[in-house]
Parts: sequence; structure tokens; C-alpha cells
Amino acid sequence: MIALNLSVNGQAVTTQVAQATLLIDLLRGPLALTGTHAGCDTAQCGACTVLLDGQAVKSCSLLAVQAQGCSVTTVEGLSQGNTLHPLQQAFMDCHGLQCGFCTPGMLMTSACLLAKTPRPSQAEITHALEGNLCRCTGYVNIVAAVQQAAGVMAGEQA
Amino acid sequence: MNAPMTAAKFGSGHTVRRIEDPTLITGRGQYADDITLPGQTHLVFLRSPYAHAHITHVDTSAAQAMDGVLAVYTGAQLAAAGVKPMPAPTPFPRPDGKPGISAPRRALAHERVRYVGEAVVAVVAESIEQARAACDAVVVDYDELPAVTNVFAAMRPGAPQLCDGAPDNIAAAMRHGNVEACAAAFGAAAHTVMVDVENQRLAASPIEPRCCNAALGAVGAPDAGRLVVRLSSQMPTGVRSGLVDAIPGLTVENVRVLVGDVGGGFGMKTGIYPEDIAVGYAALQLKRPVKWRADRIEEFLGAAAGRDVTSRAELALDANGKVLALRVRGYANVGGYAAVAGVAIQVLIGPWVSTSIYDIATVDLQFTAVMTNTTPTGAYRGAGRPEAIYLTERLMDAAARKLGLDPAELRRRNMIRPEQMPYKNAMGQTYDSGAFEQILDQGLALADWGGFAARRADSAARGKLRGRGIATFLEWTGGNALEEKVTVNITADGFIELGSATQAMGQGIATSYAQLAVDVFGVPIERIRVLQGDTDRANGFGSAGSRSLFTGGSAVSVASQKTIDEAKTLAADALEAPAADIEYAEGRFQVAGTDLGIGLFELAARQPETRISVAASTTAGGPTWPNGCHICEVELDAATGEVQLVAYASVNDIGRVVSPTIVRGQVEGGAVQGIGQALCERVAYDAETGQLLSASFMDYALPHADGFVGFKTAFDVRIPCKTNPLGVKGVGELGTIGATPAVVNAVIDALDHAGLGAAAEAIQMPVTGERVWRALNLKTFDPSPYLL
Repeated sequence: MIALNLSVNGQAVTTQVAQATLLIDLLRGPLALTGTHAGCDTAQCGACTVLLDGQAVKSCSLLAVQAQGCSVTTVEGLSQGNTLHPLQQAFMDCHGLQCGFCTPGMLMTSACLLAKTPRPSQAEITHALEGNLCRCTGYVNIVAAVQQAAGVMAGEQA
Repeated sequence: MNAPMTAAKFGSGHTVRRIEDPTLITGRGQYADDITLPGQTHLVFLRSPYAHAHITHVDTSAAQAMDGVLAVYTGAQLAAAGVKPMPAPTPFPRPDGKPGISAPRRALAHERVRYVGEAVVAVVAESIEQARAACDAVVVDYDELPAVTNVFAAMRPGAPQLCDGAPDNIAAAMRHGNVEACAAAFGAAAHTVMVDVENQRLAASPIEPRCCNAALGAVGAPDAGRLVVRLSSQMPTGVRSGLVDAIPGLTVENVRVLVGDVGGGFGMKTGIYPEDIAVGYAALQLKRPVKWRADRIEEFLGAAAGRDVTSRAELALDANGKVLALRVRGYANVGGYAAVAGVAIQVLIGPWVSTSIYDIATVDLQFTAVMTNTTPTGAYRGAGRPEAIYLTERLMDAAARKLGLDPAELRRRNMIRPEQMPYKNAMGQTYDSGAFEQILDQGLALADWGGFAARRADSAARGKLRGRGIATFLEWTGGNALEEKVTVNITADGFIELGSATQAMGQGIATSYAQLAVDVFGVPIERIRVLQGDTDRANGFGSAGSRSLFTGGSAVSVASQKTIDEAKTLAADALEAPAADIEYAEGRFQVAGTDLGIGLFELAARQPETRISVAASTTAGGPTWPNGCHICEVELDAATGEVQLVAYASVNDIGRVVSPTIVRGQVEGGAVQGIGQALCERVAYDAETGQLLSASFMDYALPHADGFVGFKTAFDVRIPCKTNPLGVKGVGELGTIGATPAVVNAVIDALDHAGLGAAAEAIQMPVTGERVWRALNLKTFDPSPYLL
């Protein structure tokens, strides 16, 4: 076992993990953050996407120890108290989810995109979402939601 | 609670935010794998590496001795314990007149394996890691047998035989229509056209993998002594029946099935799987909670596959383009074990809609379900209707090409007219309503059909080959399970609970039900809660075949009205007034002409059980027949063969629309699945070894975010269904059914225009860049897949 210190959704976490423990298993198991989903176990579907020091990563293909000293944000940490993140609000407004299983990954990937590219083009959004699969929506409303959130966030910052 | 409640803007027909979303958007959903029970153990399957083999010996001793291992189960053990195989397709006949047949499909393979990935051994351990390690220590000796994956190869003499009693590997077959009359019509026809089509095998691929967690209720707990099974399923009651049928000693009373959030179903999560039986058996034996969550590769190997039927379809027409007869010979690959659903979909359900919206009196339809060494097939979005409609719509385009007619005009000449309703089709199915030409005309307008030549010229100026495709079609919905019961509970703390055995799987059915309840109760939508996924609360068919709204929604409406009617009597008692004087509006009962009244929830609080509970059942008068006109345009890049969707317009008749946002999401999201079949998705096996070649999302190409175009989607709500009180028609599968032929017809149109002519009709799905490039640059196509 290895001693692990990291921050998860702004909370300091100190724990022991096995060398082979994946980040997703640490999050979903001991930390009980089940909003991060396992859809393919092979970094292809993106349902497990979380932010690692602000970068969208697939937590199914990262060892927990690779998050040593890092700041991890999951879907549970996206909203500020009771105030939804503009992306969460936009996914609801635009019907950007149906079954909701891919949604946490879509949100985290989009959050990473908007942090780096505040007003992305449609092509930049679809490129950013290449590693996130959705089987329900056909992506149309997801892309619309990211565009709406970008507008709201830009308006707030202006 | 006494203040009037404003509800109007949340009722049916209004655009609302889904009541499901606040939970899902914040990561608080509860999917099956999100639940870890006290004392949880984990089950891992060892699966067959061979497509066809005898199991000669299984040695589990080393595995059983490993750390954390609680049990290792083999097929022989389960068979000895009396665990029964899953049902064979006996309701359907074989060509020799005997009942339909399958080798026994067991929870764990016994004596023989029939497809790569069939579960052979189950290991239960304290942790997943321990279970996986122990799986590696199990030694299974196989005696490999020749395998067959193609239906035509499987039917030839000398082919590997999957099942005693079926030397031809035919599980079942059905003939519909009139062979002689059809032959006569073809003999007298001015024109005939024919297409050979492989409707390729697909993987349904909900992003949530299957997961099953079974536990025996502890002594003293509410479920003491009962088997409680939590899983991701569209049919909780069907899973309960499947467990009771398979595992000795279980009864419906001592099994409870719970379903939480379902991460997509698409038909693939209907009914029970062998894995669920193994998990349930292990939990009963070990008296510990046992969980199995499929890896993605297990989904590709083990989840029911969709489609996979190869057909020759022909149309006979008179000189004016009126269709005289339709003839189809279809051979469905139902996999290593023939399931009742897998067979029914291909030999019966598809044929029900083969004549679609066209007035075609004479048919000769013959469908044969063939077993091969591949994963068993089952329902996938559309289930038989996409296969049938694809043939009909490909034939319509082929006929238009042959006759030199506009494809919309040829379709128009053959459409059933509104005055022919109710219309009984050649399969004896009765359409209650439909105004197909009206839908066509709106579709043509929405797509700017007449402006295509200019767009084609514009594409050509940019070096692209533009094509246009149309599909006008209907589908059958409901699964022939037309009855639903809904219970309504008015609670003292201010909620209206709707209990239903239909099942949410992401389609937004809770929101639609809530809107229907708002219509009746006149309360804000926040007051409505929809309770599903518990066989102790409600039992029924579940959600499949686009049935939930027209069966369950009708029951919501009827039960809600019945609740108000019965509560009026209670209100009369509470207000000491005659029941006839009680009026209800917006959550409040009032004595007419006075200011004397009582709130609905306050009335509930005053009841002895502090609630008002009412149940009602309704039975729809028949299936619904949603229909549409889908028109798509593509651009081909001759240098690369790349196919780009550039326009997609659809007009849909789903009767009355309850939730505008949700139905648009169903049609467009469904269309992308249909586009996936047309352009990129394909389950592939190695023909020699039966190894699955498309066992990951790197090899099985789902549509990605960059594939979409701006959909234009419209609904004509002026043609209500006449066989259910809501007037609604099913919507869940419509988009998927229409998109596939619309897209492929567009590609063929582009190839035709590029000089290939009718030869372009030989192209097969998925229409990949490689196939298009070979067609354009080498003038070559795959050989006909119809190998008879």
C-alpha cells in the first residue's frame, strides 16, 4: 500500500492505496463518489472523465498514485454549493442528456474545454468531445449545451 | 397547500425541463454499479476463447484455494443443481413442422460452448481483483470444433451443427402471404426490381454496461429470506420470471427485482441474461451479496446483438409504378442459441410492417432463423422494423430509378390514403390512423426537395458529389402488451406518486408521465413523483417496443382522474357536503358556490392511512403506428470516399405530443443510431475461427460528436391515434428506423449520379469511405451477400 495525499473536490484526502488501484476505483469505492462512471474500462468512452489539476483525464486509465499531490475534480464538485455550474444548467436547458450515464464525463470534458477556450467554435466543441461517447442524444443537444454555457460564462466574466 | 397552484405551463404539450435531470446532472444518479452492499462480494466470469468446442475438463482446485475466493461454479455444477436453461423458440415452427429449436442456453456453458465469450466458469471472491486472479487459475480443457458464422454456410450440408434436431442449423422459419399469387403478380408485372441486402449485425452499446447485484435478505430485515436482485434492465418483472423459471426453489413471492437509473437500454436490456441467473444462484448459495459488472468487452461478447439478416427482396410494379407485389427471402443469424425474442423479431415482427405505408395487397415473405457460432441476437432499437423498412425503402428507390420517376412521386402513388383507414395490411395488421401523403408533403417542404438541383450544383462546384435520399415509412409499437396498471398515491407531505411497471431507461418517461398527471391534477410538476423499478410495487411487461407512453401514460391519465373522482367522496365527508357539490381544481376541492374547501394533500393527511391510494388499469385498443418522412442529403468525396451528412429533415406523425423536447430528442438521437448503422457500425467475426473482431469501441465504430448535422425535425400532431385515450403513438424507435434507409438511399443517389447508375444499389452497409471509394474509383462492390 502507498500513502496518497490529494485534493478531491476541494477537500484534502489522505489515504492508502494499492499500487494497481485505478483512480476511478478510488473515487467510486473508498471516496463513494459514484458520479464518475465506468463505461468501457479502456479510455474509449469517456464516462469516467475527471479533472486532474484542471486537465480532463480518463480516470479508468490512470493509477490513483498518479494523482499524488494533485487536485481532482469530479462531477460532484462541479457546482458551487447549490448553484449549478453553467454547463450543468445548460445540459438541462438544452436536453443534453437522456440516460445520463455519459453526462458526468461530458460535463468534465466540456469544463476543461471552456477553461482553456472560453468561446469555442462548434468544430472545437466536437473535437474536444471526440473521446466521449453518447448513445442517446446524437450529440446535437450536447454541443448546443456547451455553446450555451460558453455564452453564459463569457457574459458573467464580461 | 391551500394556495392555488399554477400548473398550466407544465402540462402536456408544453416544453419543460426533465424532472430526471437535477439528480443525473450532479452525479447523484443511482445506476446498478453505484450500489455496494454490506459484505459485498464480486463475481467474474471466465469466458470461452473458442467459438465452438467441447468442454472436456474443468479444474477449479487451484482457483478455489486462492485468497479471498468464496466459490467457483461450473456449468456442470449448475446443471446438477437443477438450474434450467433459457427458453427455446418453440412458439415458432421449424421447416420440418417441428417446434422451433435451440441448444440449451445455460447460465454457464455445460459440455459445449457455441460462441466466443460464452460464460463457462463463475468465480466469486471478496474483491474483484481476487476473483480475476482466480479466474486466471481455472484450467478448462477444450476440444475445439469447426465453427460457422455465416447463415448460408451454416445451412449447407456438412456444416458444423450447433444443435441436435437441427441438421440444417435452422432454429425456426415462417412463411407469410401467398406464394402463387405473388409469383403470378411478378409474371404479369411491367417492371420488377431486386436488391440483395445484408442488414449487418449491430451492438446496441448503451454506455452503461450490464450490472447485476443479488443478495439474500438477512434474517430480521424486511426482505428476510428473499432474493433481492438489483440490475440495469428495461423489464424488472421479466427478470423476476426468468430467475424463478431457472433457479430451483425460487417463487415470484421470494424474489424482488429492483432497478435504479438505467444508463441506456435500446432493447438490449430486455429480459434476463445467463449472467443474471449465475449471479442470483451464487447469492443464494453464499448468502452474501454478489455483484457482477460487465466490462465493455463482455458487452460486445455477451450482450444480445441486433439485426443480422441477409435478404433478397423484390418488387413487382405495373407500368405506372403501382406496386403489385412484394417478395422477400430473409435469413437471420440468431447466434449460437436461438432466443424467443431473437427469432420473433426476424420471422414475425419485421414482416408485420414489410408493406409499410403502401397499399400492397400481395406478399410472399419467407424468413428463416439460422444458428451460427456467434453471440445470440435479441432486440435492438426497432427490432425487426428497421430491417423490414430498410428493404422496402431500398426497393422503392430502385423502382423509381428503373421507371425514371421522382422517388417521392413513386412513393406517393403507392401510399395508403386516409379514407382507407382503418387499413388492414397484407399481414393482417390494422392501422388505425395515418395521413401519409400529408406527412410526405411536409417532409418535402421542410427538406426543400425542389431545391436539390441547385444544392447539387453547388456541391459539384466544391468538388463534392451530392446525393439525396428519402424514406417514408411506419412502424408497429407496443410489443402486443397493451395493458398497464398505474397506482396513484396522494401523500400527506404534498406529493402525488405514480407507481408503474414501465421502466425509465433514459427516455424521460417520468417527465412525460408527470406532465400527464399535471393535466389532470393541475398541480406544479414538482409535486409529481414517478416510482418504477420495484417488482414488489408494480408488475408488467416493462418498457420496450415504444410502448410506455401509449400504455402506461394512458393508465396515468385514467388513474389520475379516478383518484380525483374517489377523493371527491372523501372531500364530501370532510366538508360535510353532498359529493355532487364538490368541485376540484388545481389541488383543491371546493363546495360549489362557497369558499368552503380542502386541499388535496390536506385531505390525504386526514385519511386513516394518511394517504389516498387509487389504482387503475387500462388496455389500449391496439398497437400504434407512428410514421414519418425522413429526407437526408450527403456529400461524397471522390478522392477519399468519405461520406458527409449535410442535411437531415424529418416530419413525424407520433399523434399527440406530450413532451415536445423529449420527442425531438428521441427522434434525433434515434436517427443518429440509424445513421450509425448506415455509415459506420458493424459487428465483425473472423469467418474461420469465429473470433469477434469488433470487441472494443476502437473496432466497433459508434457515431462520435463530429458526425452530427443540424437536424430539422417537425411533428404533425393532427393525426391522433384512435386506439388509446391519449391519442399518442410510440416515438422511441421511429428515428432509428427512418434514418438508415434515408442515408443509404442518399449515398446510392450520389453514386448513381456519378455514373454508376443502378449498379450502385449493390453497395452494402455500413457505407464506409472504403466502400464508396472502391465504387467510385474501381467501379467495384462487395459480392452479393445473399449466397443461396
